[in-house]
Amino acid sequence: MTSILIKNAHVIDPFNKINGKCHIFIQNGKIAAVGKDISNKADQEIDARGLTLTPGLIDMQVHFREPGREDKETIETGAQACLAGGITSAVAMPNTTPAADNQTVIEFMVNRAAEIDLINLYPTGAITKGQDGAQLSEINELKNAGAIAITDDGYDVQDEGVLRRALEYAKTTNMLLMSHCETNSLTGDGVMHEGWVSTQLGLAGTPAESETLAVHKNIMLANMAGDARLHLLHNSTAGAITAIRAAKKLGQKNLTAEVSVQHFSLTDEECFGYNTNAKMYPPLRSKEHVDAIIAGIKDGTVDALTTDHAPHTLSDKQKPFADAAMGSTGVETSFAVMNTYLVEAGHIDLNHGISLMTNKPAEILGIDKGTLSVGADADIALFNLNHKWAVDGTKGFSKGHNCVFNGKELTGKCVMTIHNGAIKYRDGEILV
Amino acid sequence: MSKQPEQELIDIRAGRDLSVLDLISVDPLTDDDITLIFDIARKFRDFETHKFDLNKNRSMVNVFFENSTRTMSSFDLAGKNLSMDTTSISSSSSVKKGESYIDTAQTLDSYNVKALIVRTSESGASEMIARHVKAAVLNAGDGWHEHPTQALLDALTILDHYDVTDMKDKIVTIVGDIRHSRVFGSMVRLFNKLGATIRVAAPQTLLPMHADKFGVEIFYDVEDALKDAHVVYALRVQEERGSNGYIPTLREYSKMYGITRKRLDLANDKALLMHPGPVRRDVDVHSALVTMDEQSHILRQVENGMAVRKSLLWLLCNRNDGKTKDAVKL
Repeated sequence: MTSILIKNAHVIDPFNKINGKCHIFIQNGKIAAVGKDISNKADQEIDARGLTLTPGLIDMQVHFREPGREDKETIETGAQACLAGGITSAVAMPNTTPAADNQTVIEFMVNRAAEIDLINLYPTGAITKGQDGAQLSEINELKNAGAIAITDDGYDVQDEGVLRRALEYAKTTNMLLMSHCETNSLTGDGVMHEGWVSTQLGLAGTPAESETLAVHKNIMLANMAGDARLHLLHNSTAGAITAIRAAKKLGQKNLTAEVSVQHFSLTDEECFGYNTNAKMYPPLRSKEHVDAIIAGIKDGTVDALTTDHAPHTLSDKQKPFADAAMGSTGVETSFAVMNTYLVEAGHIDLNHGISLMTNKPAEILGIDKGTLSVGADADIALFNLNHKWAVDGTKGFSKGHNCVFNGKELTGKCVMTIHNGAIKYRDGEILV
Repeated sequence: MSKQPEQELIDIRAGRDLSVLDLISVDPLTDDDITLIFDIARKFRDFETHKFDLNKNRSMVNVFFENSTRTMSSFDLAGKNLSMDTTSISSSSSVKKGESYIDTAQTLDSYNVKALIVRTSESGASEMIARHVKAAVLNAGDGWHEHPTQALLDALTILDHYDVTDMKDKIVTIVGDIRHSRVFGSMVRLFNKLGATIRVAAPQTLLPMHADKFGVEIFYDVEDALKDAHVVYALRVQEERGSNGYIPTLREYSKMYGITRKRLDLANDKALLMHPGPVRRDVDVHSALVTMDEQSHILRQVENGMAVRKSLLWLLCNRNDGKTKDAVKL
């Protein structure tokens, strides 16, 4: 194993409350020293003057499509895209083909990720068999096979009785249950946020209440199960934020919530022109919801920022809006979106933003990641905060070019990503 | 002898062109565009079914991914009256075989046609197709979004009935399924441009969210909405576009919102009764009012439809300024 000394970067490590210029010494894949005076001899010295160094980012929600839809993304291309965005750990959703409702699929993903050895990949298992909301998967077996959490993701468990039992089983096995909150009967045929924009476009809308009602239901049932570990995925409505804030204030334990970066940065107006890259689940909402999401990030109601990275083929997106596939890619842009729309916009400081993408998600997942503590795995990202760039999905590593930020100018770009002490990405190139 | 009608049209046009290269939505139309479309439509209407050679050597395809009777036949005859070669595709078999809308449209575009008349059940599909073909796309209805030629022919009917050039002191009351109506989508945009006061009467289930932001006044009671109206516009309850479940029964709907003689009498004495068709007799409008009543302009609307479509086909397929579209190839 080689050693690397990174000098003069502005280091931000929220967990260890470091926010200033110092050096990082990496040896044998681990953080060996952090400080202003490091005299160790290293095999490689990097002068990172002017750059910002953070723990490798953690993305709690990505779709890598493998197994099943390797035409959209593979674990390898998804991992490469992560590295280009400074992400070294990613949680993969179970909506693969076949669904990750059994040990075999979980083991495949764990093994494939280890073979590729680009990032840490944490697969999730399905709550119910086939994600159809009826029969519970073998949750303890999934855990033993390596699943970090259970979720039915886009197919939210509709039956309250099944959800209750799933939460009780999550409590029993100390598994994290992640819920995509949605009430199918209110969503109906909705293909975007229901509001003035959907009315002008003549598209069927999904009301905010579809999500908000399900958030209330999930919180209530997790509480009933003895405060089971419940993580609410990609919250997008003002009502969801209000409900989560209230439950935390009332003292509910083990309740955490994330926001996907597009939901604090963009509104449903992106759908004008029938822009199918702006079609996603949950949908981009109107401004009053975006404002409430930002307020929830500022006051600590929101615990993590994610991407919901959802790559699709061009032909799945080049369709009438109602028929087009849902989702946007995001792992190559998430840091820059956070920096541009939260930090530059003056809502939070950079330390807070980094925290929501490093130590906070690690805490939710219960993994020893997201810090620069001495002895920790050397997962590190270096960013140039002065770099302004226009997003072009066709130029990224992801197989999906369907980025909702295409054409937008962002500030801040990853210049280097280190995984387990090895430089895996540098200046636009994957180094293997 | 046959030169004369052509020359009259050319004189009326006076070298003018539309500001748009397709007709997808009413939104981008300028006041000058609307005036131009109507000036020419009125002249075409005067010549009835006269065969013009204004669009000779130009062809068009009716691309109807959703069924239609009157819109397709109206466009088709309008094209033929202008000496265009026309052909039609209905509920495309190639799309059923899995071909994308864009591939189908680009195939048809390769015939070097000048116009594609497109109807789809999905909102926004005409706009998407328009970006990928060289031919002018005329939206003949996309989902719940817009049906611009219908709104234009309705506006022409109203303006000519009252012999006015705008709708500034006119109250237009629109009754029925607003939520699923592309006719409403175009009408509200166009009538607003023309300065009308627009009222809407429907149960809340048939209104889209924030419909008031279109600048319309909303009534749940149809009789309140009809008072002193200059135009009474009934929309069909569209079971095939999802009205099922939005109202308890057609029977009750008819009692609450159907236009009867008694209700029509609440409107202005000269009020026009209009409907985009097909009418559900005795549900939307009482049967005796549909074609017989002197206030009913439902068949007059059809005549103006031909004239407006001829006007648009001539303007979009035969430009004086020589402007062409850039088609994005996939």
